[in-house]
Amino acid sequence: MFNCTRKVCCIAVMAAAGAHTAAAAHWVKGYVVGFYEPAFRYGGRADFSRGTEIEPGVDCPHGSTIHFAVPAQVAKSLLLVPWRTKEEVEAIANPPADGLNRDPAGVYFHTWRAASAYRGYNRDIETYINPFAAEDPGQPEVTSRIGEGFNLDGKIKPGDFVSPDGEEGIDNELYRAWGCDAPWRGANSNGTLVLRSNDKMLEGLYTIVIRVSGNKDPMNDDEATLEIGYSPDQIMKDARGNVGSDYSYRILQSEQYTKLKARVKDGVVETEQADIHMPQIAWFYNQLRDAFFREGKIRVIVNSDGTVAGLVGGYRDWRDLYAQNVYAQSGGVQGVREHEDHVALYYALRRHADGMLNTKTGRYDGISCAYRMKLTPAFVVDPDKPMAIPSRESEARGKEGYDATMAAMIKAAETLVPQEVPPASRELAATDGIEIGPGGVPIRGRGRKRAADGKAQGSSAHSDPQ
Amino acid sequence: MKPGIALGMVVWFCLAAGAADEMVPPAGSGVFTAKQVRPGTFKLVVAGHQFTSRGEIEKYLAYRAARLTIEQGANWFTFKEDRAKGESAVPVPARDPEGPRYSFRMKYFRPGWRYKVNGSPTWTRWSPFSGAAFISADPKTITDFEVSAEIVVHKGPMDDADPLAYEAYALSDLLVNQVSPPK
Repeated sequence: MFNCTRKVCCIAVMAAAGAHTAAAAHWVKGYVVGFYEPAFRYGGRADFSRGTEIEPGVDCPHGSTIHFAVPAQVAKSLLLVPWRTKEEVEAIANPPADGLNRDPAGVYFHTWRAASAYRGYNRDIETYINPFAAEDPGQPEVTSRIGEGFNLDGKIKPGDFVSPDGEEGIDNELYRAWGCDAPWRGANSNGTLVLRSNDKMLEGLYTIVIRVSGNKDPMNDDEATLEIGYSPDQIMKDARGNVGSDYSYRILQSEQYTKLKARVKDGVVETEQADIHMPQIAWFYNQLRDAFFREGKIRVIVNSDGTVAGLVGGYRDWRDLYAQNVYAQSGGVQGVREHEDHVALYYALRRHADGMLNTKTGRYDGISCAYRMKLTPAFVVDPDKPMAIPSRESEARGKEGYDATMAAMIKAAETLVPQEVPPASRELAATDGIEIGPGGVPIRGRGRKRAADGKAQGSSAHSDPQ
Repeated sequence: MKPGIALGMVVWFCLAAGAADEMVPPAGSGVFTAKQVRPGTFKLVVAGHQFTSRGEIEKYLAYRAARLTIEQGANWFTFKEDRAKGESAVPVPARDPEGPRYSFRMKYFRPGWRYKVNGSPTWTRWSPFSGAAFISADPKTITDFEVSAEIVVHKGPMDDADPLAYEAYALSDLLVNQVSPPK
């Protein structure tokens, strides 16, 4: 929590009190983001499975993705690799030992993550840096018509979503492309990465705050202002572990800050359409960076039960989204652990890209998307002195690896020349003492071995991005 | 170009400007032809005299299909299967709107072949849908071959539930480092 000075707190309290006074007075409302997730609309039947299908429903008829979840699915993906024989694929899909085996090199997790990292048209091409060089393994897509978000292009097109409130023309192609992806799909926001990223946010990885202000009636003000940005102050919880109300947080005017014109109508705040800089979802420090929504919008609604909901949308660069999802650890670790395939996600992203037309290439670089936020009332104040987003020197190596890997991926995509794995990258680095060798071979006993402390070996991902 | 003029006109496509095209060696005269048979529909033929492998030659045709689509200002194409009467040994790929979606499926890019052996004046046809094994003749005896496909180019959102749909940029990106024109 920000240990506010008396002066700052007085201003904040006065500002908050202003929200309840007569019209034509300055008013301020502040919020801290207590939950942040992609606006994917779950349509499954929670806890229901049908064969290998997990929670099939109206959004995803065959349920969440099961990439790298079962041997048959692994074989299906690896059979697309032109230099692998059927016998090889069968052996990799059915590794010799099960998860109880003490030799991590023999179990499915390391065998599959290693093989998944080399699926290019020749055996020297690392896949997660060069996804374009692998065949498309296919990604289930959202088939329902209801979706949350904004009408970003001002058009109502045949394939657009309809919002739960009936608004037509909703642009949220990220939901269509990735809405069935296992770690982001689940009832009541219980997708594994939704939970993980929010846990990390609540534990202090990062904080987002919103400040809305105006000079008319806080319920109806056509000249309001909305600010959103990174706060250096950790989210405070109440005695029950929920996000506490009315704590004070500083908002930094950093590269992850935006000030927008807004209009308040019957209590609903909606901003102008403009570029928005704010923190992106993260579950590791190395992912902390600007979400950068192009032609974005933000809406804040006070629900009838008193809770406050936020929605931010816009076009995001596919390269940012791909890197965000892949490089916190490595594509193989995350793919096998979360049952997602980043090659399939790459193709789905680019196929559905619908914004940020690149006139040089003739392709869209951006994809429409939206993110939900649950907001808790807070006092949002300026810092005593201008300050930048604090950096953690101890975690600089993780950032360096992420940046280097992302740079290599972008270069590969732009030049179509497959890039090597940079030395700082995590893509081939050891997990549980198992590195990945050329051609997707798990190599035992190299790098840092983490299994010596007696942790279960091989059956889970204990990779660290550092 | 007016459709009436374009219809039936054989168009010889030079290598267009662009990074992808510069990465692939230029084709010799007559190796690649594209004929517009209807507005938006093209018959593509890759011809040569030195047979290398089915995969290499079909990939080159797929690459040219992708580049032609881009040159036409479109972004995806559908592959039209050329099945003669009775060629049902290989099932028609089924549309599965509830299944996974793809930018392309190489296994369904199945062009037709014809070839001559030892300078024979007559062409022998081979169809991927006939159920017959691929060209049984000794590759060294093949003196002429032609691989052909008909495609329909499209603009706008891709029908990614169509198993015969191909996203042109994705396909071009995958193949650009793998192909070279046959001789």
